[in-house]
Amino acid sequence: MSLFWVVIRQTAQRHYMAKKLVTMVDWEKKLNDVKVRREDMNKLVMNFLVTEGYVDAAEKFQIESGTEPDIDLATITDRMMVKKAIQDGNVEDAIEKVNDLNPEILDTNPQLFFHLQQQRLIELIRNGKVEEALEFAQEELTPRGEENQGFLEELERTVALLAFEDAANSPVSDLLDMSQRFKTASEVNAAILTSQSHEKDPKLPSLLKLLILVQNQLDEKAIYPRINNFPTATLEERTV
Amino acid sequence: MSEATSQAQSPPEDVIDGEEVPTELDTVNNSGGFSVIRPEKLSLLYPSVNLHGHDVGVVQANHPAPSKRLLYYFEIYVKNVGAKVGKLIVMDIMAIGDDGRLYRGHAKGEAFGPTYTTGDTVGGGINYSAQEFFFTKNGAVVGTVFKEVKGPLFPTVAVHSQNEEVTVNFGKDPFVFDIKAYEEEQRAKDHSKLDNISIQQDASYRIVRCYLQHYGYEDTLKLFNIAAQTNLSPASDDRLNDQYSTYALNERRNLLQLIRSGKIDDTFSMLGQLYPHVVQDGTSAICFLLHCQKFIELVRDAKLEDAILYGRTEFQKFKNLSGVDELVKDCAALLAYGDPSKSSVGYLLQDSQGELVADAVNAAILHTNSRVKDARLCMHSSLERLIRQVTACYLEKSSLEWDQGEAFQLRRMVESGKKG
Repeated sequence: MSLFWVVIRQTAQRHYMAKKLVTMVDWEKKLNDVKVRREDMNKLVMNFLVTEGYVDAAEKFQIESGTEPDIDLATITDRMMVKKAIQDGNVEDAIEKVNDLNPEILDTNPQLFFHLQQQRLIELIRNGKVEEALEFAQEELTPRGEENQGFLEELERTVALLAFEDAANSPVSDLLDMSQRFKTASEVNAAILTSQSHEKDPKLPSLLKLLILVQNQLDEKAIYPRINNFPTATLEERTV
Repeated sequence: MSEATSQAQSPPEDVIDGEEVPTELDTVNNSGGFSVIRPEKLSLLYPSVNLHGHDVGVVQANHPAPSKRLLYYFEIYVKNVGAKVGKLIVMDIMAIGDDGRLYRGHAKGEAFGPTYTTGDTVGGGINYSAQEFFFTKNGAVVGTVFKEVKGPLFPTVAVHSQNEEVTVNFGKDPFVFDIKAYEEEQRAKDHSKLDNISIQQDASYRIVRCYLQHYGYEDTLKLFNIAAQTNLSPASDDRLNDQYSTYALNERRNLLQLIRSGKIDDTFSMLGQLYPHVVQDGTSAICFLLHCQKFIELVRDAKLEDAILYGRTEFQKFKNLSGVDELVKDCAALLAYGDPSKSSVGYLLQDSQGELVADAVNAAILHTNSRVKDARLCMHSSLERLIRQVTACYLEKSSLEWDQGEAFQLRRMVESGKKG
């Protein structure tokens, strides 16, 4: 039995010895040498608030920290109103607002436009307006579906809602979910941000993913204190 | 590219970001006599009829390619391809011949890309992220080769046929190839590697919340909590975190606002009331920073005589504190200028200086939280710790990989995506 453990320990040690060991003390020195500018951190936070659409918080942050938002805050309100309209099921209203903001968005984004029309159809069906739904589907959506196989399939799925007595328990019930509205709303949000030359995703999650990536890569060559819990960001010493 | 921070003299041309870069052909170490380097050291000529297959004129650049970056690139303009087919070695052991073949250190060569002739511009580069060499012709990539070599690589040029003449461009002139676009492409590829990585759902929200708490942005925090409540799930370690970051939130907020608006006297009196021990040692670093800030505010308000008086009274108390001389000198220097904001000490008048003082006071107060066992947790917000960790990890990784590749720079991430 003890021989077993001797072999295990030797194998483990050999494995670890191939990697560079950095002690907590040395690692903390390296961390302390890093220069971080408050200004940059403020910008990162502002970028988060703005991309998520928290207008009030962004305005306050501008006052409290003196950080300039990287986008006109007024446009956030418009964008949030579009999002809200979709989340409330008022797709026609949302389309009008998007066109008010920038008519090119829907012109240059056939997929987005199709998804908005699809959402309109879903809402008509949800409200029991069967006649209107069928007319709408045939006039507005089928022509688009004929241009694009993917659209056609989605259209067929949507129209299928009408075929079921209890649509909420059918194979296409996911279309009636609130999550479908959120999906459409997200798509519109991203398209508006892109049209405003703003990246559609906040940068902070990328920073976190970068940290995961680099720690995984560094793990192959070194043993060093890692951060595993991001919100608390505490260093965890490695015990060999 | 290089961040010129020193006021003394601009750094030498052939050093960028601390690394030597090739600027011209090396006239000292080249293969004896078969080629002629012109005086400006950027052109190479093969004058005589070549006697032997081995009489190749090979010349290297004066420095190896810098490695602490995403890409390195340089170009060769073929002024005259010469009498017959020759070799153009572009990156040390890798060569692209003007017959379009790839030569890896031996004579035969393998089919690689298009041929080159007079008037063409050939480029060679190293992509440290993808670990490959890439070659271009007249502005388009013709191919890439995996890079096994880890050591320093010298851009190299060779000429072999009669009257062959080439000119090298190490960056002094604009490149024919759009290297910036190629770099952006590589960055985008690297960024897309992140797509498959998943992070904890509400991690970003909790980090932002902790940041707002840590720096006392109380009003923002209130609005943030309302807006984000659907995205935040209650977690047990939040309560622990909150204990640290929300400690004395309102008081800190008030103090930090005072400092940020330059009301230093009020800061002193409020600190005296709430946290007397932070200011009771009149010779502490905190007191010093606050007094400096008061001095700066007086200068900002153009009350120079008051400033001088204040400085004389206060600064001498800190004679024994180490590291103050620089700051005192710079503060005093403010007096010399009619418009100090444009001077080399103008940085003191910027918000960043006030933030520095505010952060020090903030940390000192957080430190009074008896529940905090680890003083280090008070110093920085979790966001800052994460940024330090990412930066340190990249540096460590680079140092274990022959110092290749870009360092992580928060500034670049924050500034990216800005168009126009």
